[in-house]
Amino acid sequence: MPGVNRLLVNNIRKSFGTHEVLRGISLDARDGDVISLLGASGSGKSTFLRCINLLEIANDGEIWVDGEQIRMIHKNGKSRPESARQVDRIRSELGMVFQSFNLWSHMTILQNVIEGPIHVLKRPRVEAIAEAEALLEKVGIADKRHAYPAHLSGGQQQRAAIARALAMKPKVMLFDEPTSALDPELVGEVLRVMRALAEEGMTMLVVTHEMSFARNVSNRVVFMREGLIDSSGTPDEMFGGTGSPAFRQFIGHFGS
Amino acid sequence: MSTLELLGFGSTGWGALLLVATLLTLAVTAAALAIGAVLGTIVAGAKLSGNRLLWALGHAYTTIFRGVPELLIIYLIYFGGSSAITSIGKAFGYEGFLGLPSFAAGALAVGIISGAYQAEVFRGAYQAISKGELEAASAIGMGARTRFRRIIMPQVLRLAIPGLGNVWQLSLKDSALISVTGLAELMRTSQVAAGSTRQYFLFFIAGGCLYLILTSLSDQVFNRAERRANRSMPSAAMGKA
Amino acid sequence: MDFAFLSSTMVTLLAALPMTLALFICSITLGGLLALGLVWMRTGGNPFLVGFAKAYIFVFRGSPLLIQMFLVFYGLGQFGIIRYSFLWPLLREPFVCAVLSLALCTAGYTAEIFRGGIRAVSPKEIEAARSIGMSGFMLVRRILAPIAFRHALPAYSTEVVLMMKSTALASLVTVWEVTGVAQRLISHTYRTMEVFLCAAIIYLVLNFIILQAMGLLEYYLSRHRRAMPSALKA
Repeated sequence: MPGVNRLLVNNIRKSFGTHEVLRGISLDARDGDVISLLGASGSGKSTFLRCINLLEIANDGEIWVDGEQIRMIHKNGKSRPESARQVDRIRSELGMVFQSFNLWSHMTILQNVIEGPIHVLKRPRVEAIAEAEALLEKVGIADKRHAYPAHLSGGQQQRAAIARALAMKPKVMLFDEPTSALDPELVGEVLRVMRALAEEGMTMLVVTHEMSFARNVSNRVVFMREGLIDSSGTPDEMFGGTGSPAFRQFIGHFGS
Repeated sequence: MSTLELLGFGSTGWGALLLVATLLTLAVTAAALAIGAVLGTIVAGAKLSGNRLLWALGHAYTTIFRGVPELLIIYLIYFGGSSAITSIGKAFGYEGFLGLPSFAAGALAVGIISGAYQAEVFRGAYQAISKGELEAASAIGMGARTRFRRIIMPQVLRLAIPGLGNVWQLSLKDSALISVTGLAELMRTSQVAAGSTRQYFLFFIAGGCLYLILTSLSDQVFNRAERRANRSMPSAAMGKA
Repeated sequence: MDFAFLSSTMVTLLAALPMTLALFICSITLGGLLALGLVWMRTGGNPFLVGFAKAYIFVFRGSPLLIQMFLVFYGLGQFGIIRYSFLWPLLREPFVCAVLSLALCTAGYTAEIFRGGIRAVSPKEIEAARSIGMSGFMLVRRILAPIAFRHALPAYSTEVVLMMKSTALASLVTVWEVTGVAQRLISHTYRTMEVFLCAAIIYLVLNFIILQAMGLLEYYLSRHRRAMPSALKA
């Protein structure tokens, strides 16, 4: 329901060795929010996204998913999650779509999509297959369900990856540069699926370079620079000439 | 006596014995490979664990058993094993010499050796798995055990097939050395036949041909297995889908 | 730890080391030359030579070295023409039989390794050489062989280590190299573990030396692929 805080992130810090990549990022996402995360390479946006589902472990900060905090232990300057089980459970409530799709190469598309529901959510097989087929229909590749990932184009693989994430019925979808690895003519088909998702009310956090998506589909734009949030606001605010000078310089490169 | 009679199945023929010996060679090689698979998995796990002590132990294992001549290792297991069993026997009051059965000694020795090679095959296969696919499994909330069972194992097995095919061929040929323990496998039987009939050339050629048949058949089996396992991979004939 | 026994064992085994080394060096050299001949046959155009080379490689890679060695040691003596030829004094020596057999076997494996190295040579580099008029033996010597050998080096160093291990089989045709002496010691003293330990150390040291030498060779041959020395940077 609208207004509920699906995701709350407070003061995330992350260093790789001596290099501090994230210097204190805070963000909240309410139900139905579609947030675009923009920034130059090295600004830390992918790292931030990966900290949310603990593919990277933040050195400091708190993360709440749907009101539940991920319990962490901070000792001797090292951090780790307190409960692997809690991490697994929370990850199953967050969907992630990767830049390089990461479909499991030894399984067909259909098997990829039902894998999570059957082996993580313990749903009955028949039910999982029925729902998977509906999802594949929705993203437009139902006819490829028995094909292997290597036999599909990049755009088809990414749509399959989206279906796989959706099969887990996540509360929040995380997208890590979903179209950056695609040939230009295949980008559109993936953006269309993402737009449809947004219009259905899915809470989405999208790291992207696709300005059209940021402007037209998201309801909030966050601009990161050097490990901090430089500015944020609605697309109209940010793109309408009232964004910060750094942001205006950034989008100047994209010739909007 | 004619060549045909010597090789045939009649009363003076060695044909039947040679065929049984061939089966024994296959059996001891299969046993060795099974032992090696268990050892190889453990050692590969040790080398991949990130723990330095475990890595060192695993590395010592693969270095020693790939670097020392197979014949020496067979002597170690056969003579050493027999000594060990004899001392155990003494502890129970039996005074005589107890030998380690040659099949067991041979399978164990070749098994330990193949384990060292299999460890490297499994390790290479694991490292060839796309890290992204492992991340996707974690991201979906899959626990470590499930991930191992559903994503890692199937891929390791698929990627390991060419390497395992090589190890099989290697072990098949190493099994000929088990003849020093007296086991009546193909090498020993050829030797015995050659010695008792003085037809050395004939029987060593015959034995060699039987080995060639074994290795070519194995080659075909593994090629077929590799093709089947790779049906999920892109084929050269495809363009952009 | 019976150090006295260990050291006397070590001394006994080391006395057999020259024989192991002799077997190794002779068979590697002879085998390498045979392999070059085989590769030339295999990659030439002549269908008979190609067929012969393929058959040779198939036979020697598909059967155990031991049976090949027994065939040479026991089998050749069966034929009158060999026994009465001028080669017989040579061929009835166990050492010669062992070296011959080891060389024939390694030639098969090495030929395949060299062939793999040749296939890894980029046709473009060959084309460039032809376009300046280079051909035939000079092309092979100056362009093809160096590049092919560098590609083949990792696989070849594995083969060289295998050759070192294979010398142990000569003990089964009465050549007194390290493994043969070790086996005799074991059967006299029943102290398997200690003898194995000493013999294993000898072989592991030999392998280490081989791999280091191969590594140096690879380093030397790859000068052009490493980063430019800072003195040359503009």
